[in-house]
Formats: sequence, C-alpha cells, structure tokens
Amino acid sequence: MVDLVVIGAGPAGMAGALAAAECGLEVVVVDEQAAAGGQIFRRTPESFGGSRATRPYRWAPDLIARFDAHPNIRVLYRSTAFGIMRDREGSAVRLNVGVSAATGGELIPAKRILIATGSYDLPVAFPGWTKPGVMTVGAAQTLLKSQKVLAGRRVILAGSHPLLLIAADQLLQAGAEITEIAFARGLPRASEMGAALSAAPGHFEIFAEAGRAAARVVSRGVKVTTRTIVTAATGGAAVTGARLTQVDPAWHRVGPEREVSGDLLLLGYGFSPATDLARQAGCEMRWNSRLGGWTVVTDERFASTAADIFVAGEPTGVAGAEQSRAEGRIAGLHIAESLGSSASDHPRLLRRAHRALSSSGRFSAVVQAMFEPNREALGHLSDPEGTTVCRCELVDSGSLDTALRANPFISTANAAKLECRSGMGPCQGRYCEGTVATRVAAARGIAVADAGYFTAHVPVKPVPLSTYRMLGSTSD
Amino acid sequence: MSASRIPAQRGPTVEFEFDGDPVVAHEGETVAAALLAANVAAFGIARNGEPRLPLCNMGTCFDCVVTVDGEPLVRSCLRDVCDGMRVTRNEAS
Ligand SMILES: Cc1cc2nc3c(=O)[nH]c(=O)nc-3n(C[C@H](O)[C@H](O)[C@H](O)COP(=O)(O)OP(=O)(O)OC[C@H]3O[C@@H](n4cnc5c(N)ncnc54)[C@H](O)[C@@H]3O)c2cc1C
Ligand code: FES
Repeated sequence: MVDLVVIGAGPAGMAGALAAAECGLEVVVVDEQAAAGGQIFRRTPESFGGSRATRPYRWAPDLIARFDAHPNIRVLYRSTAFGIMRDREGSAVRLNVGVSAATGGELIPAKRILIATGSYDLPVAFPGWTKPGVMTVGAAQTLLKSQKVLAGRRVILAGSHPLLLIAADQLLQAGAEITEIAFARGLPRASEMGAALSAAPGHFEIFAEAGRAAARVVSRGVKVTTRTIVTAATGGAAVTGARLTQVDPAWHRVGPEREVSGDLLLLGYGFSPATDLARQAGCEMRWNSRLGGWTVVTDERFASTAADIFVAGEPTGVAGAEQSRAEGRIAGLHIAESLGSSASDHPRLLRRAHRALSSSGRFSAVVQAMFEPNREALGHLSDPEGTTVCRCELVDSGSLDTALRANPFISTANAAKLECRSGMGPCQGRYCEGTVATRVAAARGIAVADAGYFTAHVPVKPVPLSTYRMLGSTSD
Repeated sequence: MSASRIPAQRGPTVEFEFDGDPVVAHEGETVAAALLAANVAAFGIARNGEPRLPLCNMGTCFDCVVTVDGEPLVRSCLRDVCDGMRVTRNEAS
C-alpha cells in the first residue's frame, strides 16, 4: 500500500505530491497526459525538443524539475484514474484507486488520496456546436502549444474569459487570421479596474502579459467586439461561420443576428471544475458560480468530507495556477502530518503556503468577479428547436422540455438525466450538465443551483471491459 | 476546418492507416493532431449521421474517440501515433 495517490500532475498535484514526498511519504501520481505540468504547462513531445512555456510563472520550471526528480514520487503517465473504491475489512476501510492505461489496469491501495484533477473549458450548447470546426479555446491552445498544429485558418473567438485574448495572440503569431473576437461582456468598469489594481501586487506580470496580448491583437487590426454573443455555428457538415448577436449587460439579446465567416469557432466562457472523481468518491459538493459552478467542499487543510480524501486545485474552485499550487502544497503538508511524518520546519512551510494562498486568492477573486459567465443566458442559447444538448446521447432541447412537461415531478438535473439519457454517454455528462440544469431551473422557476448536479459512478471515464472485470468483488 | 502544422522541430516521420488510407505523421504527435493536420473530415460518426472532430483536446469530451488496432473508444487526443498503427473511425451504435 502506498502512502498517497495523487490524481493529476498539474500545479496542484505536483505541489501536493512534492510536499508529501519531501516529508518522507511514498507517493504515486496518476495523469492522463504524457508529462507533468497540467493544462497550463503542457509540453511538446521529446521528439519535438520537449520545450514548455511557463511564462509568467517563475516558480514553474523549478516545481516541475523537482517533481520529476524526486525519488519518492512514482508517476503513471497516460493513465486514467476511473474510480475510487473502498474495501471494508471489519471496521477498517481501505481506499483503492482504479487506474486504466493502454497497457492494462490496476487497483492501487492508498492510505490517502489527493484529487487534483483541474478543470475543463465550460461547455455552451447552441445550434451547430457539434459541428466539426467548433472547439474550445483551450483545445486550440494546447494543440498549438504542445503539438505545433494550428487548428484552423480563419478563426472566430467567442466568450467572456481573458484567456480568449491570450489565445488569440498566440494564434495570430502562429499565422492564423482572426475574423472577430466576440466578448459577451463590456469593458471592465472603473470600480472593477480599481479592485484589480489593488489585487495586482505580486501578480503584476500576469496582468501585464494579458494586457500586452490584448494590445498586440488590437494593433494587428483584429476586430474585437464587446457585448456580443455567439448564437449559432453555421455551415453544412463543417463550420463556415458563426452568427453573432448584440446583448445587453445581462447578456440578453438586443440586436439582430449577423454572420461572420471562418472555418474555426473557438469558445472561451471560462472553466468548469473537474469534480467527477470527487463526486463518485462521495465528497460533499457546493455551488459557487464565481468559482466555476459545482465545487468540492474542503476544510482549511483541503480535506474533503470523505475520510482520507483531500482535494486541491481547481476542483475546489477555479482560481488559476498560483492558487492551485498553494492549495496543493497545503494539502500535501497536512496529508504527511496526518500520517505522522512532518518536516522539521513544518509550521514555517505551512505559514508560507497560507501566505501564497491568500495573495493568490485576492487576485483570483477579482478575476472571478470580472469574468463570471451568465449561466442563465448561456442556457437559453440552446432554446432553438432541435439544438443538441447532450452530444453523446443526442438529446435535444425540445425532447428535454417535452420530458419536463410530461413529468412535472422532475425538478433536478439528475432526474432529467435518468428520464432523457442526457449525460449517460461516454463524456458522463461533463458537456451537458450545465445546460440541463439551466433548462430544468428555467422550467421550474428555481435557481440553477437548486437543480443540483449529476451523480458520478465507476467508471467515471469509459475503460476497457477487461479493466473493469479486474475490479472483481470490489464495490464503490 | 483546415488545420496545418506550423514550422517547428518534429520527430521522424511515421506512417499509419486511417480507415485504410495511409497517413504520414511525426513521432510524438497525437493521433488527433495527425488526423487534424491530414484534414480528416470526421473522426467519428454520431448515431444521427453527424461527423465529429475533437472538441476539448484534453481527454474530457470523447468526441475524438477512434478504434486503434481493434481497441475501441480510444481518445485520439491522448494517444501517440506509431508506425503501422491501424486507426478506424468511431461509428456510434
Ligand atoms: C485546456 C486548458 C488550457 C488552459 N490554459 C491556461 C493558460 O494558458 N493560462 C492560464 O493562466 N490558465 C490556463 N488554464 C487554466 C489552468 O488549468 C489553471 O490555471 C491551472 O493549470 C490549474 O492547475 P490544476 O493543478 O488545478 O489543474 P490542471 O493543470 O488542469 O491539472 C489537472 C491534471 O489532472 C489530470 N487528470 C484529470 N482527471 C484525471 C483522471 N481521471 N485521471 C488521470 N489524470 C487526470 C489532467 O490530465 C491534468 O494534467 C487552462 C485550462 C485548460 C482546461
Ligand atoms: S478531444 Fe475531447 S477527449 Fe479528445
């Protein structure tokens, strides 16, 4: 049995694993990617030179190097953690992490588990969003950064997150043409700018980086529109353009639609915490729209409500790489302490990590408030007849609404899922949960939070049958 | 959508098969990147006949799944190409 299994090798998982390993724990880390770094520090393959952009995070190269080199850390790359199972032996409970890779599956018994699974681009359903040529902004960015592939030639970007501007700058530099960047919100108000400035000390470089990207984009003559939202992806089998509409400050449509052309439509409305494993493991969840929607409840040690399971980074709330790292470090130190091994300067290390947490927290609070998506308005983009809500099971908004009319007792996203199969395909509802919840909430006149979330079951991501059989009598 | 490789250092070329057609790629590329750069029109076909291409490129959406050497539901954005690999389109049942 290992002391700790960490799921995710992003800033949170690396920092957590390293803190625990430096206290003497034996750590196994599982990540689906081919190398450490997480979504923000994705690296090119060894055969491409293995380079990695870490600007403006000065601590990143050192964190990754120490993580890669630590003798107490064993990493399983290209491996998916598909479930957390408990064995009961009398009154004792043993935790196991189910891991699947191309080479087979295994169950790893662990004394503690740290879930550091990060986040994914917030999905938004509207007519045409399943067409080839619609991608998340993160997808285009990671293809460019780690595979040196430009996903399209003429690009339309739509969303509300600052990452949109940084991605646009990178795409331009790689030779793409950008037809338009449509920002759903207006320019920040003076009061928001004031708050941003007071949070800026220590984060100046990040602001500067975003500002420089925006300036470069504008100086290249790219059309940037505010209070504009994408309402449809147009074209036949593949995208040839998008329809855009003017919106008011509440993101309600106020103008007629107009069409812009492009072969790639990128969406960047923010991020959703990846909480499937935490839900499946029985951790208590809490709604917080500014932090990305459904987040995992933790105490100040980053322990979840499920025994011996800690959660750090974006599953506790989307707050950027700096905060993910601080949370991971605090979790790792407390995990070590809970197993009776702490570093000699433990209190000092903890104080330092908490200071990092509060300074990054100030910064992310400002960003979150400025860029929170309007979930109700985004939900209404799926109103038009026949709009696909669930990409996997092909459930459209009309059949969802019909089911809601026929079953007046359904008032949660989960009940709607059981009735319509929306959320039962391979993606396990990651890409339709938000839309289903906003449609249920609108139909019942309740808040999105009150429509609840999809429950998650083993396997949280599909695994080969052979791996699943290996679980034998172990149950969740 | 017309994807392309930008100038950069890449690994040696490898050749694999997609639905019986040869695809030339570079060592270190993911199957998704190689198929996008080859301008494949559909990685999969949904039950209603719609073509699908990658959406997230990070392993969460499953829109990029293909069959690799008989193994179904492989996320092409997480799997590297290798010489002689046989990849087929995902046909939803
Ligand atoms: C596509 C994308 C691009 C981004 N680009 C930027 C950017 O350019 N700038 C910026 O400031 N922020 C960016 N972000 C936000 C960024 O994710 C955070 O700021 C930060 O990296 C979060 O750190 P983390 O450790 O919490 O999670 P992550 O860095 O996301 O790490 C989570 C890791 O967990 C792994 N994982 C998840 N589930 C499983 C599982 N079941 N089994 C095995 N492994 C699993 C993932 O492969 C990933 O490596 C991006 C986010 C995404 C989703
Ligand atoms: S593109 Fe989403 S899982 Fe591969």
